[in-house]
Amino acid sequence: MLQPFFQSMNDSSIAKYISESLWIYPLDQAIHLVFLALFAGSILILDIRLLGMGMREQSVAKIARDSFPWLIIGFLGLVATGIPQLIQNAMREYYSEFFWIKMYVLPVALIYTFTVRRMVSQADEGRVSPGVQKIVGLVSILLWIGGVAIPSRLIGLFT
Amino acid sequence: MSDFLMPLTQLVHAIQDSETSTALRESQYVWSLFEVAHVVCMCLFAGLIIMMDLRLLGIGNMQTPFSQLQKRLFPWQMLGMALSAATGLVLVYGDPVRFYANIFFWMKMTLMAIAALNAMAFHYIAYFDVNNWDNKVPPYGAKLAGALGLALWGFVIIAGRLIPYNWFQN
Repeated sequence: MLQPFFQSMNDSSIAKYISESLWIYPLDQAIHLVFLALFAGSILILDIRLLGMGMREQSVAKIARDSFPWLIIGFLGLVATGIPQLIQNAMREYYSEFFWIKMYVLPVALIYTFTVRRMVSQADEGRVSPGVQKIVGLVSILLWIGGVAIPSRLIGLFT
Repeated sequence: MSDFLMPLTQLVHAIQDSETSTALRESQYVWSLFEVAHVVCMCLFAGLIIMMDLRLLGIGNMQTPFSQLQKRLFPWQMLGMALSAATGLVLVYGDPVRFYANIFFWMKMTLMAIAALNAMAFHYIAYFDVNNWDNKVPPYGAKLAGALGLALWGFVIIAGRLIPYNWFQN
């Protein structure tokens, strides 16, 4: 169904422009990875706390509020540097199972982060049991690392 | 090749020719496993380093006293660093000649060494009076260490990602 769309990205003048440059694509990949580190840091600083470790003297709610802007910046940076890679590689991505795993898990991880994880981490202290917090943090790590980051790296390795 | 590098060059080629290195290089799955693991471990290490550097710059995680953030994230940063280093060493062991001749690999190693010096300089020069700024925006020295840390680790990641592109090799 989406094949014509991916084909048109693949044949677009943007894809041509990127592929004719020696630097744009590699630098885009590299900066994508820098935003990944920022994004992962903003996710992990809270998830580790939800697991009952890390900055234990600080409240979950404050860590959540402090890390939120960096989560947004990291995510926007990932999208901004991810789209050119998609355009440039559109047909390869289309036929990559790992790309589709990433694209299916990504919305799940996003919705989870902005609903369940956000409500649990902003709840008043003591309202959510440590057990529930641990599960919420663990699911977040599994979704973002296991469901999004690892398949992303595998796109390039197995196509 | 200059003479004083000869022992290193010989070592690199000896590793390259060893059975385990060859097996690793030719195994698609084991090699890929370490590539993936290296990125995941980098996320833990660099991610939490970035969180600390943003706090040093006075622009992130400001509700947590710096000393607390430093103390509590340190074990995780060290875990991330140890795992990144271990997986990175395996990758180098599996393809030593390629890394040895790669400019971005050596840029990465150099930047990491400078980043380590920056961290040590911060610890011995700017961290001693943390009690005066633990709940506030840090003074200039600490801010400088944070800015340098962000820039250096950012370029470490960039140089690392550019290793597959050996534009400067003939």
